[in-house]
Amino acid sequence: MDFEDFQKAWQAQDAGAQVTIDAQVLLREVRRNAEQFRATIFWRDVREVGVAFLLAIFFMGDGLRLKDWTNGLVGLGCFGVGAFMVLDRMRQSRKQPVANDSLKTCAESSLSQVNHQIWLLKNVLWWYLLPIGAPLAVSTGISLWQSRQVTSQLLGLSAYGLGCILLYWGIYWINQYAVRKNLEPRRQELETLLGSLKSNNETQP
Amino acid sequence: MNAQDQEAIFRRWLEAHLGLMLKVVRGCAATPPDQEDLFQDVLLQIWSSIPAFRGEAKETTWIYRVAFNTALAWRRGERRRRVGHETFLKFDISPQAHPSHAEVLPEQELVEQLYVAIRRLPKVDASLALMHLDGLSYQEMAEVLGISENYIGVKLNRLRKQLAEQLKGGGDGL
Repeated sequence: MDFEDFQKAWQAQDAGAQVTIDAQVLLREVRRNAEQFRATIFWRDVREVGVAFLLAIFFMGDGLRLKDWTNGLVGLGCFGVGAFMVLDRMRQSRKQPVANDSLKTCAESSLSQVNHQIWLLKNVLWWYLLPIGAPLAVSTGISLWQSRQVTSQLLGLSAYGLGCILLYWGIYWINQYAVRKNLEPRRQELETLLGSLKSNNETQP
Repeated sequence: MNAQDQEAIFRRWLEAHLGLMLKVVRGCAATPPDQEDLFQDVLLQIWSSIPAFRGEAKETTWIYRVAFNTALAWRRGERRRRVGHETFLKFDISPQAHPSHAEVLPEQELVEQLYVAIRRLPKVDASLALMHLDGLSYQEMAEVLGISENYIGVKLNRLRKQLAEQLKGGGDGL
């Protein structure tokens, strides 16, 4: 049996014969899914960016009301994180894979997105944890310093330090776990796929 | 493009190319729930892609691209929960689902063996096998995958031998 026999049998099959489709319901479902997908992405962005900006407004407002520059600094940190997220989403949305691209182009765009996600999560300390954590540490440190009670200063600083270390370590660990568990395998999968789309001439330097 | 035009094109494509879409789905997902899930994703992506369709590419090439790209992003076991979704299709395409059919034609059996063999291939080879079996030209396959026609030829040579070996002796080892 040769390949032409396979082709003949393949083309003779009526793949759609055993599937019954209610076109009206299908259209309704497809529309609903498309809207649901858009809504999910939109509300995810609103939630993540919105929280950062709300915190920025809260701390900046509080700083102005109490004339406390340290709260303003925390607000600025939150604003910076929110602004970074918005700019990053805008930049990345232009690089989204398009469904009708060739498989190679689509795999390249997907790989670039996965690489960017890995970069974001690996550097979460610099763009998320430190911009909020450092001003918070300054604010807490100054408040404790101003209390002028050595015992409460030491206790407060120790508790704050320990809490921060645990919280930041937890956030950092979750992010690195996501990289190891989901993103690295996906990157390897896409790299293998792209490797198989490149001829020997293209892969050799 | 207005919603009516989009709907008209979608209906026409569904009628004309349902078999193509299902072949891709069955070539990429093994179990009926996975196939149904991937099929819904493919339909959703095809629907969303219609406004960008200008008729420059052939419909089949376009649908293959969208379907393969969707299958590339789709991952087994990551089924999205479609809350309150209505059943619009009866997905009953596996011969095992018809135990009353005691006799399965040799061609049908061969096709089933081909699906099993295709699902075992790496994704690019599986895509290539599906298109080659459907009789697409080298140029069309090159357009869908984004690689040169020469390289398609090289890969197909290997693939034909590989599939023939796997199916030798009525699908030994499948």
